[in-house]
Amino acid sequence: MPLIGALPQPITSAPLVLFVYLVLILLLGSALASVLLRNTVYAIAAFAAGLVLVALLYLAIAPFLLVAVQLLVFTTVSAAFLIGLLRATTGLRTSSVGRLSPEWIVGAAVSAVMFALLALVLGATSWPVQFCCGLGAENFGAVLGNTYAVGLAVLAVILGSAALGSGLLLAAPTLPSPRGGGSTSSRSPGGGGSTTVRR
Amino acid sequence: MSAGLNLILVASAALFVVGVFGVVARRSAVVMLLGTQFMFIAGAIAFVAFARFGLGALHGTAGATMALFAGAIAVAELAVGLAMAALVYREHRSFALDADRG
Repeated sequence: MPLIGALPQPITSAPLVLFVYLVLILLLGSALASVLLRNTVYAIAAFAAGLVLVALLYLAIAPFLLVAVQLLVFTTVSAAFLIGLLRATTGLRTSSVGRLSPEWIVGAAVSAVMFALLALVLGATSWPVQFCCGLGAENFGAVLGNTYAVGLAVLAVILGSAALGSGLLLAAPTLPSPRGGGSTSSRSPGGGGSTTVRR
Repeated sequence: MSAGLNLILVASAALFVVGVFGVVARRSAVVMLLGTQFMFIAGAIAFVAFARFGLGALHGTAGATMALFAGAIAVAELAVGLAMAALVYREHRSFALDADRG
């Protein structure tokens, strides 16, 4: 198949190059922190930061819809799963800071200001999204809905099956193990497995 | 100084290696799951980079679409994997996946 047209050039704009380098370095750092930290909460926090950094990288080189999906869906869903796991197992406590407390209001206000600032920069300057919009990717949503309609349907089935399967796994009683464990009830202090098995 | 396909692919490969390290060297189920997530992310970044800088730019949305699918599959894998990790924790009161743990 003959190549039609010239290949896209590398990014040469100095601010955007620095942005990409910074994001990549921070991404690798957060990935290393995520797999090296002993504290599970910190590891999950580093993982969530890594997902946000991937979204920032997509901001420079990918269609904006992918940025939005990465930031709003993948990051939040993954973080919610991991926090839910911690709350269900090691007992991650609910925050002592109540809703509508001064701390909560200040934190929410700061977050809202940051998002508003980001939206303002994106809306006013289109930076750095403008660098990816010359690739014919403006109609990304339409392409997804038309060309990849079957893929999206399959994806929806896979995601639904995963949600159903994980829910069933969590709701199912623990199977008896060959070593005599297998109870979800409390164990003895000595570490021996309980003999009661829920079926 | 520029940022092109080579830079993104090197970073993607490094991220994949970090994920492999998390899966192979750590014994915590949660950290192993995070390692697999990083491997998925590395593949997605490579897809996007090829679509942006490489031959895939002729079909600019293909790489992003593959990245979208890879991310969704990664989330599905995370959901099932975390459910299994929760079962492991119920059984052993630990996320460790040692074969010789009594």
